Amino acid sequence: MMNLDLIIPEIFLSLSIMFLLMVGVFKKNSERLVYNLSIVALIILFSLVINLFSINEKLVFNESYKISNLSSFMKSITIISAIFVMFSSSEYIKSLNILKIEYPILILSSILGMMIMISSNDLIVFYLGLELQSLALYVLASFNRDNVLSSESGLKYFVLSALSSGLLLYGCSLIYGFSGSTNFIYIANSSTLIEYGVIFGLVFIIVGLAFKISAVPFHMWAPDVYQGSPTSVTLFFAALPKVAALTAFINFLYTPFVNLIDQWQTILVFISIASMLFGAIAAIGQSNLKRLIAYSSIGHMGYALAGLASGTNQGIQSSITYISIYLVMTLCFFSCLFMLRKKNVFYEKIEDLSGLSINHPILSISLLVVLFSLAGIPPLAGFFAKFYIFMAVIEQSMYFLAIVGLLSTVVAAFYYLRLIKIIYFDKPTEKFETDHSLGLKITLTISTGILILYFIYPGLLNDFVSKIIII
Amino acid sequence: MIAHAVFFYIFSFIAIVSAIMVTAARNTVHSVFFLILDFISISCLFIMIGAEFLGMIMLIVYVGAVAVLFLFVVMMLNVAQQKNQWFGSIKSSSHIPIGLLISLIIFVELLIVVGGWKYKPDLLNSSNIIISQTTSNTHSLGNVLYTDYIHLFQISGMILLVAMIGAIVLTFRERAGLKRQSYIKQISRERKDGVQVVDVPNNKGVKIDV
Repeated sequence: MMNLDLIIPEIFLSLSIMFLLMVGVFKKNSERLVYNLSIVALIILFSLVINLFSINEKLVFNESYKISNLSSFMKSITIISAIFVMFSSSEYIKSLNILKIEYPILILSSILGMMIMISSNDLIVFYLGLELQSLALYVLASFNRDNVLSSESGLKYFVLSALSSGLLLYGCSLIYGFSGSTNFIYIANSSTLIEYGVIFGLVFIIVGLAFKISAVPFHMWAPDVYQGSPTSVTLFFAALPKVAALTAFINFLYTPFVNLIDQWQTILVFISIASMLFGAIAAIGQSNLKRLIAYSSIGHMGYALAGLASGTNQGIQSSITYISIYLVMTLCFFSCLFMLRKKNVFYEKIEDLSGLSINHPILSISLLVVLFSLAGIPPLAGFFAKFYIFMAVIEQSMYFLAIVGLLSTVVAAFYYLRLIKIIYFDKPTEKFETDHSLGLKITLTISTGILILYFIYPGLLNDFVSKIIII
Repeated sequence: MIAHAVFFYIFSFIAIVSAIMVTAARNTVHSVFFLILDFISISCLFIMIGAEFLGMIMLIVYVGAVAVLFLFVVMMLNVAQQKNQWFGSIKSSSHIPIGLLISLIIFVELLIVVGGWKYKPDLLNSSNIIISQTTSNTHSLGNVLYTDYIHLFQISGMILLVAMIGAIVLTFRERAGLKRQSYIKQISRERKDGVQVVDVPNNKGVKIDV
């Protein structure tokens, strides 16, 4: 008999999606109620996932679904950041008039897709999780449907994402055809692993996944989609799908194809170098903060992939640490963006930050911390994230990757420091409003606190991560 | 056996010809009809190899739902009259050589991949295939769908739910001043609300206040 208790989180989430949908349909004007209930559901979900933490690796559903330390950890950071995303963006959604019952429900179903993707140990399960996740994201991107930019971003994301899904499916079918199974473990043990067909399939799958985390050269959609979608959705885009796709990367490369490391290592190194360089250079000319963060996230994904490319446990762990700290930085940066509000209009241009430090000293300090951390300046958390990656990479004597990574950090530091200069040394503009919701304030305080205080006790995160042993 | 072969060739000939006609037909409505013909002949082929469930599902789902939906869309959009001039126009013809080049490269690469294809040796030996005489097609399909892959079945359900929610969110608009039927109001209406017995005096008539 199957161990149903291992998939209780997924079952709970599906049931609560349907329950909330019912509440929304049968109770009039229940948008706020559904929104709050879904936060409660996420908190319960988090405790359910935490419950599975100490369990050794287990496979359910004909070995197609894997519960392990990796999946539990990734699921829990996904859910925590989802909770904070919901906390911080409630005010924004309300003032943009897009608070409908479907909004939290779509977010929940996207999280369900991510959880399935994170736990997948089979090509079909993986693909279905990916589709569930991105289908909800297409709708969320164009949620502000009366806005031209938002509709455009939804359509753009949908078309390009459908194309990449097609490539990914083609890769899956090649792998299935040549290895004879869709299950990762069977694929790993199949004797035909070195044939062209399997390698072709692997390349197609890497392309599809690289699209999902917007790594160069499959990044074209990211800046437009980030700019066009409502900021709350951009926050969601910038943070959560990357965790799921990175886990899928780890699952893919290190379960079925770990013996093909010579084949995929070069591809991964190329993608990583290209993303780091492009993310650093293309962001310089941007004037919109959301576009800027899009390019910055492209660069950050390059660093995360560099850890994966090293092919060691240390590398994987450093990537996981990197993505966790990246989540905190994204949350912090976007909470600052949500605070730039004047008479229900949200400002997202770089020049709107001009002289912010005079009128809003605390907000400016938060921005200062998060920007320094994004640039990787010690002793903030962002420095340690990059430090672990470079350590893992250098240990494998991949010096070129490390050198390019360091150089692009320096280039990227330019535009982060430019923002700080604008905040602290330019002429002040009008004051922004200061009456923010409690959730937003809490999110900003906690995330800034983590970024500053991480160096005092890094073991808090590292202890969890070091339990994740893949190979 | 000969009759089997004859029918096989008839149906597959129809299938191939109508598949070509789907793309070749000038009129879009004709294309859809050829598509329907194609589906029907393929479902006949399915029934001939003993996969009666797949054949019937093919008829019900593809002919009954999908093709009819196509037909509706084609009629609604009125694309039947439009001629496809994309290939001929000057604007697009500059892209065609590059597109052809890239597709040629990908095609050659795929040839290399498929060149390595070989069937498993035990697949060619038909005595290895286990066919149970007691379980029907439908039964074994159901076993796969609802027992082995139940989780995938449920996840697909969630995907369809999300698709439905998304379609509603993006298109539904509540219009103001719309008159709606209220069943409860209609049913709970009683005689005294609508009918009034008036004493009509002789040669006077009734004044009805509206």
